[in-house]
Amino acid sequence: MTVINAKAKDLKTISRKLKESLNEEPIEVTNASHLHGLVAGLKHGEVIIQGNAGDYFGVLNAGATIRVTGDVGNYTADNMTSGTIIVEGNAGYGAGQYCYDGAVIIYGDAGDFTATMNKGAVIIVVGNVGDETGTYMLDGDLVVVGDAGENFANFVIRGNVYIGGKWKSLGHNTRVEELTQGDIEKLSVYFQTYDIKSDPVEFKKIVAASEKPFYK
Amino acid sequence: MTVVGAFCVSVNREVCINSRMPGKCATCAEVCPHGVFALDAYTGEMRIRNYNACVGCRICAEFCPEDAIRINPAESEYIARFPWTLSTVEEIHHKAQTGDYLLRGFGTQQPTPHFDTITVVPSQIASPEPRDKYREECDLEVVIGEDTCEKPLHLKLPFVWPAMSFGALSKEAKMALAIGAAQTGIATNTGEGGLLDEEMWLSRGYVDQNFTKKEWEPGGYLIIQWSTGRWGVSADYVNNGDAVEVKIGQGAKPGMGGHLLGTKVTEEIARVRGIPVGSDALSPCRYYDVQNLEDMKHMVDFLRDVTNYQFPILFKLGPSRPYDDVAACIELGADAISIDGLVGGTGCSPDIVTQGVGIPTIACLPPAVQALKDHGVHRKVKLIALGGIRNGLDAFKAMAMGADAVGFGSAAEIAMGCRVCYACQKGNCPYGITSQKPEMRARLDPIEVGQRLANFIHACAEEVKILTMLSGHNSISDLSTEDLRAMDMNTAALTGLKLAGYDRPLSFWEEGYKPVAMKANGN
Repeated sequence: MTVINAKAKDLKTISRKLKESLNEEPIEVTNASHLHGLVAGLKHGEVIIQGNAGDYFGVLNAGATIRVTGDVGNYTADNMTSGTIIVEGNAGYGAGQYCYDGAVIIYGDAGDFTATMNKGAVIIVVGNVGDETGTYMLDGDLVVVGDAGENFANFVIRGNVYIGGKWKSLGHNTRVEELTQGDIEKLSVYFQTYDIKSDPVEFKKIVAASEKPFYK
Repeated sequence: MTVVGAFCVSVNREVCINSRMPGKCATCAEVCPHGVFALDAYTGEMRIRNYNACVGCRICAEFCPEDAIRINPAESEYIARFPWTLSTVEEIHHKAQTGDYLLRGFGTQQPTPHFDTITVVPSQIASPEPRDKYREECDLEVVIGEDTCEKPLHLKLPFVWPAMSFGALSKEAKMALAIGAAQTGIATNTGEGGLLDEEMWLSRGYVDQNFTKKEWEPGGYLIIQWSTGRWGVSADYVNNGDAVEVKIGQGAKPGMGGHLLGTKVTEEIARVRGIPVGSDALSPCRYYDVQNLEDMKHMVDFLRDVTNYQFPILFKLGPSRPYDDVAACIELGADAISIDGLVGGTGCSPDIVTQGVGIPTIACLPPAVQALKDHGVHRKVKLIALGGIRNGLDAFKAMAMGADAVGFGSAAEIAMGCRVCYACQKGNCPYGITSQKPEMRARLDPIEVGQRLANFIHACAEEVKILTMLSGHNSISDLSTEDLRAMDMNTAALTGLKLAGYDRPLSFWEEGYKPVAMKANGN
């Protein structure tokens, strides 16, 4: 295992080192909490961040499997197109925005604007999420095991939003539906894969009321 | 709805084939994409069914075999009725009936201070001698990111195609733009609608996806747009171009994101953008993943990192507070900044925003240039002027005011065949430029239209060359505001140019542009 100590190093140095040693997986990075945009655009490989990570962590991820043992900053997994990002701690504002595919699993809480404009990824938050979560979601699955804040799933267009706890208020263009057998099976698979202790039967599902909410 | 009741369709019944022999000709009804004409099912007679639906694209007049159709602006008859002109009256009726506000394409229709009231000052005996356009050389090349990136853009001519998305434009129109860029050595732009595969090789001058057969010299560049909707964006996407443009805003609808109405979202567009077929793609007005300038700085950092520090990073701004906006972009490390004026074009925008939001292109340039000068990077960080640039004369004036290059957006569409009917948002473009319908797109041949675009660019380059040389310069980088004069008080007040005749700027411009503290948030 390659270990990269990022202490007092800049993004360019660490990023070049990461790309050079990509084939000697897995790579471990330590002391990287000051770096923003770390592990960006990797197509394969396995990276473990020991401790916390900064903003824009795993941005444009295109296939790498990345695990963080601590907390992450804002905009985690921004614009991911493939791969898996696992955060063992909490995430800040806007985790999992603009994702096309892949999976983001946050074992702690996540902030406001989580999974905004999600276009097809699976985003799972085991803790609670903040306000405006799932805004303008275009496809994919968002699973919140805990509670959600205001304006939950505002202007969702397509895709499924599952929630185990309560929400403060629902956003526009939403409809609450009962879980189907397929949903329960899907959630069970997610929970089993990522070792989450929760019962899918108690979840509620929120979908779009209309695919064309803006102009007639 | 776009403009209602603005055009008067008249048919000369004496020459119209259908009037003489009902049922024998229905060309106008067949070609009109807006249902202005209708055939009587029983008699075969052609009738004008809906005057108000006419947008003035003149496709019917062009296809009419007997040249029997005339389209005239209806407005001229009603000028005496200002402000209650026919189109205003029809607009109010439309709103009263439907409760919908108007959307429109293309750009503003209102008279806006523009380059027309600026004149070029030629060289005579007391100034540097004029250069000989026919027998001497003139340097028109512009380099973006020369000192900062591993792969700078060497634009052969000081022009770019501004961002126009696949979705707003048809696939054929995007291909034509790429071919035009390849033939002239300028840059084309993906726009925010994702990357069309063909653009990748066509823009570089290759006709095949393996980059083996080069058809067009010298080959152009492809600018990748990174925008708020992030349609079709991936790590590969940003690496497929030669530069990355971060879109902040655009001239036609500053403060709003891109609009693509569901009528234009076909299966292909839906696949590229990742949205349901027929659903509106309305980009957010701001980046959901940026809350402040520090975040934006980190965004620029990771964009450079993902592209291996090879490509220039450009910013595109709408016309708001050019001094502060440009200063912010410089501090973020931009290699070039595009600034789009009020006259800038769009595929779709709320009517009032296109008409009444933003400041004119000519008023954007002096503060923007001052910001570059105050940071000591004028002509290093390149300034690209956009918004209603129509020809080499406008381009020259923009460059003399301090821009390094200009973009032809609306003019490129017109060079492709557009007749300016302000209805791009409907997706019915009869020339196949802003339509996704197969029958309309079939009318646009990318290679032929690409040649037209290249011709247009070459003509504009010659015009810029003439003007540069007659004002005594050998290079466009030597141009300055001394080469221009304002012809009226209004223009002199807006731009700080010397007033023709008086030969000095108006008194409040004597010390140049003075930045004022930004009070955007009222603090």
